[in-house]
Amino acid sequence: MKARIERRMFAHWPWSLIGSMVLIAVIGLWNMASASRAPQVPLAGSQAMFLVVGLMVAVVVALLDYRWIQRMVVPAYFLNLAALIALRFVGHKAKGATSWFLIGPWSVQPAEFMKLSLVLMMAKLFHEDFKPESPVYGFRRLLIPSLVALVPAALILAEPDLGTALMMVLTSMTIMVFAKLRWTIVLTLCLAGVVGVGVLWNDYVREQSEPRWTLVRWALKPHQDGRISGWLSPETDLRGVNYHQRQSRIAVGSGGLTGKGWQKGSQSGLRYLPEQHSDFIFSVWAEEQGFIACLGLIILYGVVFISMLLVAYGARERFGAFVAVGFSAMLFWQLFENIGMGTGLLPVTGITLPLFSYGGSSMVSTMIAMGILLNININRRAF
Amino acid sequence: MRLGKHVAGKELRVRYIALGAFFVLGLLILSINLYRLMVVRHDEFLSLSQDNQWKDVRIRAPRGQIRDSRSQIVVEGRPSFNVYITPAFCLGCVRDVLPRLAEWLRWESEHFEKISTQIQQATGLLRYRAMMVAGDLARNELDVLNAHLHELPGLEIEVVPQRHYRAGALLAHITGFMNEVSREELEKRRQNLSEERPVYTLGDFIGRTGVERAFEEELRGVDGWKKVVVNARGEVMRDAQGNIIQRDEVAPVSGNTVVLSIDLRLQAAVEQAFERAVAGVAIVVDVKTGFLLALFSKPSFDPNLMMGRQSSRALGELFNNPMQPMLMRATQEHYHPGSIFKPISLLAALRTEVMNEHTLVNCLGGYRLGSRVWRCHRDSGHGWVNAKAAVQKSCDTYFYRAADLMGIDAIAEEAKLFGLGQPSNLGISSEAAGIMPDSAYHDRVTPGGYAKGMALNTSIGQGDVNVTPLQAVMMYAAIANKGTLFQPQLVRRLESLDGRLLKEFSPKVVHHIPMKEKEYRLLVDSLSAVVHEAGGTAFRHRLSHIRVAGKTGTAQVARLGKKRLKTEEVPFFQRDHAWFAAFAAAGEPEIAVVVLNEHGGHGSSDAAPIAMKIIEKYFEFKKLDETGIDSPAFPPQTDEVPPALPGRASQFAQNKFSEVNRAHESTH
Repeated sequence: MKARIERRMFAHWPWSLIGSMVLIAVIGLWNMASASRAPQVPLAGSQAMFLVVGLMVAVVVALLDYRWIQRMVVPAYFLNLAALIALRFVGHKAKGATSWFLIGPWSVQPAEFMKLSLVLMMAKLFHEDFKPESPVYGFRRLLIPSLVALVPAALILAEPDLGTALMMVLTSMTIMVFAKLRWTIVLTLCLAGVVGVGVLWNDYVREQSEPRWTLVRWALKPHQDGRISGWLSPETDLRGVNYHQRQSRIAVGSGGLTGKGWQKGSQSGLRYLPEQHSDFIFSVWAEEQGFIACLGLIILYGVVFISMLLVAYGARERFGAFVAVGFSAMLFWQLFENIGMGTGLLPVTGITLPLFSYGGSSMVSTMIAMGILLNININRRAF
Repeated sequence: MRLGKHVAGKELRVRYIALGAFFVLGLLILSINLYRLMVVRHDEFLSLSQDNQWKDVRIRAPRGQIRDSRSQIVVEGRPSFNVYITPAFCLGCVRDVLPRLAEWLRWESEHFEKISTQIQQATGLLRYRAMMVAGDLARNELDVLNAHLHELPGLEIEVVPQRHYRAGALLAHITGFMNEVSREELEKRRQNLSEERPVYTLGDFIGRTGVERAFEEELRGVDGWKKVVVNARGEVMRDAQGNIIQRDEVAPVSGNTVVLSIDLRLQAAVEQAFERAVAGVAIVVDVKTGFLLALFSKPSFDPNLMMGRQSSRALGELFNNPMQPMLMRATQEHYHPGSIFKPISLLAALRTEVMNEHTLVNCLGGYRLGSRVWRCHRDSGHGWVNAKAAVQKSCDTYFYRAADLMGIDAIAEEAKLFGLGQPSNLGISSEAAGIMPDSAYHDRVTPGGYAKGMALNTSIGQGDVNVTPLQAVMMYAAIANKGTLFQPQLVRRLESLDGRLLKEFSPKVVHHIPMKEKEYRLLVDSLSAVVHEAGGTAFRHRLSHIRVAGKTGTAQVARLGKKRLKTEEVPFFQRDHAWFAAFAAAGEPEIAVVVLNEHGGHGSSDAAPIAMKIIEKYFEFKKLDETGIDSPAFPPQTDEVPPALPGRASQFAQNKFSEVNRAHESTH
């Protein structure tokens, strides 16, 4: 492991990426100060600490040897896999899911690091399995990438953490589609989509005499079933499964064009918003800052994605390009899931908004991702 | 694999653009959805967020008092300390907290089980709702809980107004009592009435019997409302100064005071006069208005114990008591009137002109009709008797003769004029109608149909004749006032909390019974002779200074055997009922009194003395009032809060009472 620091490196730092990400994180701190205001435990301070630590880690990662990172991909993936398996035995259970290791005063969430490892692993696979004469991927060549994606996703789903697992599957699929698939596979995916919608329609929407004849629904746990039915008919069962989403929608909708003002949100102040420092942090922002600020935030995230794609565009080899595409897809799906569930577009699955939600593991892993992208960008010409 | 400079990027160029476009599309979807929520539907969600935080809070209206005719407080409110548990904040509730509570408050095991299941079953938002687990703590219980409050998480003690019946058992059947409104009743109200805001909620008390029930609307008042800010846990928020944040306050309207026509002094005197009787009822009514001045039904019960503090065992005893303390004997039970019915038979005989006041009948100890002899109560006979002597000595033979001549329908017609056979409509509880048989009745009910012998039994108040004591007293009041039958009433007026008169109840006349001066004179004369002339059945118990016109009655309960037995020799529930019905003063009637000593024995020895004591007391109090000397209040008027009694909120009482009420409603 050798970190080389040269003057010319800094000329190639993607400032738009760094700038937009740090700006989002700083705005996030300001929002966190409101979301965790008295009488709740103040979290902005420790979140700021996570940000500083994350930035330092990002700088270190940016200066690591590019090849060393490439070499570390496989060991890191299996290490993370081992951590996810170990979680089942020594994990700490909180909020109904065994997702954390307690290490001293900190709790670490291995899934946050697994998602990085997964993207790196996928990039490595598609980097090595590239034949210019047959650039299109068929079923056989997708077998190993699928396995690489599905094993950790299954482990995370079992925690249970549906949101993160779903995000990982979607990210992997995005990477695969990006790698160019055979049209039959695209067709299969479309078909799978249609079947999925069909199952939902049969199990939840269609008028049917009770007991319903269902394809998948009978196998779901009641809380999962409740979330899906709640998402499909948001005006029913407001006291039960739809309570959280409804309160979140009320928070967002009541924000209006300009918002209620910092620390003035009634939904967040009176604790009607559940998990308002993590999963529903965006609703706090929307309620207090309004539609225009929401649009601004979304545009900032857009800048992050485009900057990441630019890093990918500038990457000197397939590995770097796929890593950048993978990270951008990962952030995109997290954002889409998080805001989607906060506004009733998607069922509540429980996922954080990167850079905005409270959480050390999430912040540090996002910063590591940024560091790797910096590293790729720095190394696009240098050997 | 080496692809050379920038090759990867160039080769993938189109896909970057496609992916970028995909991201932009995703962000656009999110933005459009946000626009829809935050701009298009903003007003809707804003008002929803307002509804969320501004919660309606009820301000309980103080319930009105019940006072007696002299404005002595009979029923009022007093503070009661209740225990509430919020399951969400009650850590180790079922394991640690409840067992300790159960020990300190001496819960029965069923109650403990009930509360534990309630707490365990609370899920979701219900976990944040405080539920009442114990009501009306005793002083020592309150002290214990206060001392340990910090080790009992999620537990709160709240002060709520509780009804206090100062007169206790003395007036229980009139005041009635309250207890908690049940879930089923609330559901029924919700379905049947479209109330903007529910008048009752779980935990509210509602009048169950007596005036508490009949005047529920008046006593209850109108609850006020205000809006306060609450958080998701249901905690009321305060501003920086510690004041509750509130708005839109609608002040409650206090319940009205119900002023009874009952005079507590007289009521207490009645209870005292009844000291030696096991069971029975006495009623005093103002003959000029029909307002009841006293009504005491024995045995009675303490309404303070009916408000959910009685253990189910003690309540069970109350309900299974063979003497039926809960029964309002004045209206809910009917009895054979026996000889107190005879003035009606006499009037009927005069009206039908089968006899006149001079007609003589020779009583030889019985009257033969066909092959059977109807016995007079005096085996040796009364000799020749006219109307006055027949009433005075209560000669059965005279009335047998009259009945033989006029038949049953003439008697029934007369009796119905005096309100017998139909409810008196006192209006505070369900009422028995009594039975006034006529030939049609017997054709319907009796095997073999009507026969003349039934008229004979009816004429002396036996057979199938049944009257409630209230009907009896209203009948005598109508005789006393020369034929005006009043509807009995208990409530004189309604007053606001500050004593303003809201409504005065005026006497209600059912109808006027045509009564000739001659008939009236004869009735008053002969009823006076019962008391004031030698040979009268109540002569021994006459008062020296008050002329009383009355009639004794001894109503047979069990069929007579061959041999006449002394009262003590008969099992209690087969003993005769002792009646005395009277009005006073005979020349200038003011009150009518009926005393029924249930299974007491003879009217002359076991009812008349009680009635005489009551009449004596009435005139004594009247004199006191006229001289302006204020007699001592009863019960003593103090500000002292009576000590709470042990025992616990009991579902049992509530269930039992909805049952009883249902049963009564269905009998109407």
